[in-house]
Amino acid sequence: MTTPKLVEHFFRHEYGRLVATLSRRVGVQYIEDVEDAVQSALMTALETWTVAGLPDNPPAWLFRVAHNNLMGELRRRTGRRRILEQNVKEDIGTLENGPEIFLAGEVRDDLLRMLFDCCDEAIPVESQLVLALKTLCGFGIREIALRLFASEANVYKRLGRARSRLRELPLRPGELTGEQYSSRLPAVRKILYLVFTEGYLSSHAEMAIRRELCDEAIRLATILAEHPAGQAPETFALLALMHLHAARMAARQDSSGGLLLLEEQDRELWDQQGIQIGLDWLARSSQGDRFSRYHAEAGIAAEHCLAHSFQETRWDKVVECYALLERIAPSAIHTLNRAVAVAEWQGPPEGLAILKGFEPPTWLAGSYIWAAVLADLHRRCGNADTANRYRDVACKSAPTPAVKELLQRRLQIGSPG
Amino acid sequence: MPKQKYLCIQRSQSGKGEKPSPAQMEEMYAKFHAWKEKFQKNIVDMGGKLGSGKVVTSEGATDGPFVEAKEVVGGFMIVSAESLEEALEVARECPGVVMPGSSVEVREIHTP
Repeated sequence: MTTPKLVEHFFRHEYGRLVATLSRRVGVQYIEDVEDAVQSALMTALETWTVAGLPDNPPAWLFRVAHNNLMGELRRRTGRRRILEQNVKEDIGTLENGPEIFLAGEVRDDLLRMLFDCCDEAIPVESQLVLALKTLCGFGIREIALRLFASEANVYKRLGRARSRLRELPLRPGELTGEQYSSRLPAVRKILYLVFTEGYLSSHAEMAIRRELCDEAIRLATILAEHPAGQAPETFALLALMHLHAARMAARQDSSGGLLLLEEQDRELWDQQGIQIGLDWLARSSQGDRFSRYHAEAGIAAEHCLAHSFQETRWDKVVECYALLERIAPSAIHTLNRAVAVAEWQGPPEGLAILKGFEPPTWLAGSYIWAAVLADLHRRCGNADTANRYRDVACKSAPTPAVKELLQRRLQIGSPG
Repeated sequence: MPKQKYLCIQRSQSGKGEKPSPAQMEEMYAKFHAWKEKFQKNIVDMGGKLGSGKVVTSEGATDGPFVEAKEVVGGFMIVSAESLEEALEVARECPGVVMPGSSVEVREIHTP
């Protein structure tokens, strides 16, 4: 007897595919019924396949069961309503076309449509993010809460807001117009960017969990970049920055899970194939005259990927990209990053000069990053007292033990700068 | 294959418990297969889930509940083992049992 193997994340990705396909056929207003139907189809699969073995075509099998579940539920409901109020003429889409039709290209269309549905202007961004993680990535409520450092109740609330908005949409809206596609495209990119950074920048202890979010973002962004509705230089730049960051991810931790500084990382561990894919997308992103924040961020990531050592990094180029980023998407964090890059390029006093007279917004002033950068720059300028004061603040507000450990190592007085 | 057969009756608490997420289902699927492979010489009949039914008595057929309603017989399977202890081991390691609130009753099947 052999163990029938399923590809990794089979259940999660089938969930996303089925929700997208069925929602598109009956209308996204029925999202909750669709999700219930898919959930119970997966349960049936789990029970049946473990006993009877895998069917010839597991995705087709699942589609048929989920489709029948959904049809049964919607028929039961319209039937009941018809009895209650004689004149109801609610129609439930075109499911009757039969469950057998689905092609790979159509599945991509369905996923993409779902992604654009998630980014409806009327849904708040934090709800869009949760909705996408739930419907497209197939994460459960608890899994989302864990990944976003939110409570389960909070995730429920955000999801509820998104769903109630979807329910309010007019019935049978048909396809989104080209205009709707293009007006929502920036929001779609933003959501994918958020999914990625939730994984990449997360202080979550488990690398596998963080990596998973990055991989999901890359998977969906690739579908977007290959589709006419998403093909644009900004999308390519977004995908480039994802690949270029992800390629260096494994090297950011030592074997015991401790964080490593960029200069401490073993560059041999960087995924060269991933870097190449990133650079290819970056090349494609340079067509047209739009220079987006994704271009700037991908440019910075590319500089790091291409440098043979920390010392050989072209810091002037990095500084230039941060300056562009500050202009396109003004944020204090970009100024702070530019100061760090200038310190490497022209020296710590020049870096410090950029932050002189700079009033950080409260969210940054209260974070360990702000204190840590000031501690580091002052230390390297020889201002021991000021450096110590900032170091204590930074260590006190470190979000995880790993970050605290890194700060203590880096910010030790007398350590080589 | 060991001669003695045992009937395993799986029970779970009705209606309780959160639905597993797709990732959890994937984990369950993998665990179940590992279990199936480990005990393949013991598994005689994977059995199946039990649906609803009726009870026939001398007075006729009645609907359930058959026992206390909070515990529901969910499924059954037949394993073979050298001893009750071995049969219990097979049942104990079955992934479905690990879930809180569920249990498996293992009974020797006497055949003439």
